[in-house]
Amino acid sequence: MKRRELLINIVKHVLLIIYALFALFPLFWMLLISFKSDAQMFNTTFIFTPTLENYDAVLLRTDYFRYFKDSLIVSTLAVIVSLLAGVPAAYALANYEFKKKEDLAFTILSFRFAPEILVVLPLFMIYQRIGLYDTYTGLIWVYQLITMPLIIWVLRGYFEDIPIEIEHAAQIDGYTWWQVFLKKLLPLIRPGLVSASLLAFIFAWNNFTFPLQLSGTNIETVTVASLKYLASDTVHYGQMAVAAAFSSLPAVIFALLIQKHLVRGLSFGAVKG
Amino acid sequence: MAKLTLKNVYKKYDHKKKRRKKDKENDYFAVNNLSLDCEDGEFIGILGPSGCGKTTTLRMIAGLEDITAGDIFIGDRRINDLHPKDRNIGLAFENYALYPPLTVYENIAFNLRAKGLSNAEVDERVKRIAPLLKVEELLNMRPAALSGGQKQRVNIARAIVRNPDILLLDEPLSHLDGKMRQQLRMEIKRLHNEIESTTIYVTHDQLEAMSLADRIAIMDLGVLQQFGTPSEIYDNPANEFVASFIGEPPMNILTTTIIHHENDFYFTFEDSELRIVVPQRYYDIVKDGMKVRVGVRPTDIYVGGPDSKGTPVRVAVFEDLCTERRIGIRVGDELVMLITEDETKYEQGDLIRLEVNGEKTHLFDLETGNRIQ
Amino acid sequence: MAQVEIINVTKRFGKTTALDNVNLDIKDNEFFVLFGPAGAGKTTLLNTIAGIYLPEEGMVKFDGEVMNQVDASHRNVAMVFENYALYPNQTVYENIASPLRSPLYKQDNETIDREVRRVASLLRIDGLLDRLPHQISNGQKQRVAIGRAIIRTPRVLLMDEPLAHLDAKLRNYMRSELKEMQSMFESTVIYVTHDYLEAISLGDRIAIIKEGKIVQVGTRDEIYYTPRNEFVAALVGEPEINIIDGTLVKENGTSYIKLEMKEELVPLPDNHPLTKTLCEYDTNEFHVGFRPQSIDYTFEYKEGYLKGSVYNFESLGNKAVLTVKVGDTFLRTLAPYDLRVQLDIDIYIDAPITKGLFFDSQTTELIGSYDDAKVNGNGTQE
Repeated sequence: MKRRELLINIVKHVLLIIYALFALFPLFWMLLISFKSDAQMFNTTFIFTPTLENYDAVLLRTDYFRYFKDSLIVSTLAVIVSLLAGVPAAYALANYEFKKKEDLAFTILSFRFAPEILVVLPLFMIYQRIGLYDTYTGLIWVYQLITMPLIIWVLRGYFEDIPIEIEHAAQIDGYTWWQVFLKKLLPLIRPGLVSASLLAFIFAWNNFTFPLQLSGTNIETVTVASLKYLASDTVHYGQMAVAAAFSSLPAVIFALLIQKHLVRGLSFGAVKG
Repeated sequence: MAKLTLKNVYKKYDHKKKRRKKDKENDYFAVNNLSLDCEDGEFIGILGPSGCGKTTTLRMIAGLEDITAGDIFIGDRRINDLHPKDRNIGLAFENYALYPPLTVYENIAFNLRAKGLSNAEVDERVKRIAPLLKVEELLNMRPAALSGGQKQRVNIARAIVRNPDILLLDEPLSHLDGKMRQQLRMEIKRLHNEIESTTIYVTHDQLEAMSLADRIAIMDLGVLQQFGTPSEIYDNPANEFVASFIGEPPMNILTTTIIHHENDFYFTFEDSELRIVVPQRYYDIVKDGMKVRVGVRPTDIYVGGPDSKGTPVRVAVFEDLCTERRIGIRVGDELVMLITEDETKYEQGDLIRLEVNGEKTHLFDLETGNRIQ
Repeated sequence: MAQVEIINVTKRFGKTTALDNVNLDIKDNEFFVLFGPAGAGKTTLLNTIAGIYLPEEGMVKFDGEVMNQVDASHRNVAMVFENYALYPNQTVYENIASPLRSPLYKQDNETIDREVRRVASLLRIDGLLDRLPHQISNGQKQRVAIGRAIIRTPRVLLMDEPLAHLDAKLRNYMRSELKEMQSMFESTVIYVTHDYLEAISLGDRIAIIKEGKIVQVGTRDEIYYTPRNEFVAALVGEPEINIIDGTLVKENGTSYIKLEMKEELVPLPDNHPLTKTLCEYDTNEFHVGFRPQSIDYTFEYKEGYLKGSVYNFESLGNKAVLTVKVGDTFLRTLAPYDLRVQLDIDIYIDAPITKGLFFDSQTTELIGSYDDAKVNGNGTQE
């Protein structure tokens, strides 16, 4: 019995290590080549002379930080708008009954299914007409198609998990509805709030189609800007690697910051166990 | 039908993640040196709180778990290494596990067909078993259409249709509510009366064990606490655990210091003025200053008459339940309860003296919890 | 500290009527129990009194003042919920302190600290103040919930099945403790339960509710000895009352009753108003109820006793229930817990008619009983 278990354990670990290597390798490679010069790009693998010339080229000699700023503004504000509208919406879906409630809920979810390419051309024309082309407002608004459904769906689940009696108890204790919401309910949905926000942020940040079509020269996100590194003569892989690595930073930092709030169901234990 | 014997049975679970040497010492015995002798046709209850090892024991008898050490015999056969299907046991576990696409008839017949019995024989057996569990009208229905109680009956029918040597029931009534539970309990009792199969019934509900079993094995943390008839366990609990587990409302058990005063011994209690006379039969073994645990059931404490010895105490709780009355006395942090059919009504704060039934007072060792004879 | 009146209250949810024309008059400082099976509308009524629900019809009054337009936070009520509803991310201390931190009832920190500790010590949870709800047991959670409710000394204290989710042992114990605490509650208490032991032990008066309607209101003696109908009779009492058919027969000027399981006629007491009532009744078919406590048994033949067989024997803790089969009728009676008896053996039972409760066979309402000693007037109907 014991030997068999040991063998199974070893095989399990080996398979997991292989998979981990497989999954993480591209990231590792990306970091690696960001330090390789174009000259050494194709004739070396792991042993080469590291150089900062790609970093220099991308960060200091292009407008990279401007693109970074545009991405940051649009993504962050899009998530904030989604939270402001989405949290109350999620609460309403969880706690009230009204006609066609599930139809409405499904409609909101369906925004995530629709391929962006389908809507982007008509939107382009409309945006041109109403003057939202190439503006922050325009992008933030259209990003709601990406960020809001996620936030509403995740938070609806969290609100549903909170027993209605907690609200009743707080009301009876003497709190107004707003205070009940802010002081008692929001802390309970915090894990959902941060995880949905993070995911929404990542989707917004990574979006390519909308900023490509609906903004021009005023606003360029890092995703759109990365096209610039596809030069007509050569592809500067090293520079692209730097751009890609840097682009992934905000999401990683955000995730690390909110980690401690991703605590297992805070509602656990409030009611009879 | 056959005898079932367990001899020094152990079950140990290995810690899965043995990262540090320290963890290896944390392997624990789910069943620790269990020996039981069950007679042919006996209804044995294995009773205890969750985690006590009762289900593990059942599973070892069934063959669903390996036996770490010790032997299990059915009749004269040692069954340790036999596959479950070769042990000739009938199993009815708490989560029904009826095959959804088959009718009730087919569910019950399943095992018989697997054994290769002819259609005529299968039919005869199923039709014979069905009325015993009152499922004749359900034979053509599917599990999805049955209620919880009905599913359980089918479950049990399926277990006994094979005429097993031993019938194993694992908390079959735990998912049923009040009336349905009482009903099915009655059926199980009558069924056993009818077919007299050696039955092992696992439960955490002491009322259930007390009303169904011929003998009960009480376990806690893998160790057998006592094995006896319901009367033996109720009247002569082997230790404090058994004493407080059996009986509702539970036995009052308190730490007491015995003092000697004017030719009598008294039980005294911390943070209380209560004093109760020690029953005569303990006079040989008690000493002044001795600390023990004393236990007495609510039905065995009385309100003493005017010539009662012992100090009066205040009534903390008086419950009038029409058919009986319950009086609660605060002793330190505990609430000592007594139940009486006496019609006197008391108020909170009234003073009363307490007396205990000498025959039914138990002393337990302060450290081990074992009963002092 | 408030007298509570519920006047013609009807509450509907869509097509379901949860409360149907409910009328109750609860006295100041009374411990009033609302008792009924699951789904009867007890929690709905409690929520209506608290102000969480607004009734479709009718009024809720505290001390004569109509409260319908007053919302929950302003009614100065407190509630102990069936599932405790503790704030999961706050400590026991903070949970209990919560009402005193709300804008309506705000107190300064010193007062809050003093009151929280007073209440915690009363409920014996002072050692748990720093813990979170998921770190304490159900019994402890329940005490915290009670603490949060009583800290403000509300006008009305509402308790919704507080003992429902505790195991049998703990429930018995906590019920006794609640009884002990009763004198400390300075509010009018409205207590909801489906357990009849809680109802008769704790209630000054008990209202029995079924499917949104009040069936009977009375003291424990009234409910037990003069139940309004068979439903109430069956609800209160363990084991359940035995109800059998009986036919009135008049022979030679004397009245007899023929009970379904007995061949011989049982003479009814002369000169008793109940006999007269039964004779003048519009039908001669009745239902007669015998509580298990009043049925006597013996294993040897006895004159006048009915022969039956032992159908079942079941332990109920300190006593046992013996189910006896007489013909096609099953009767429950009580026996000592340590009686060891074989199933299907002969047994002889007696159900004295003087202990029977007579019910109308159509409406199931109580007509009367011969046991005058226990009867002290009819149950007050509201």
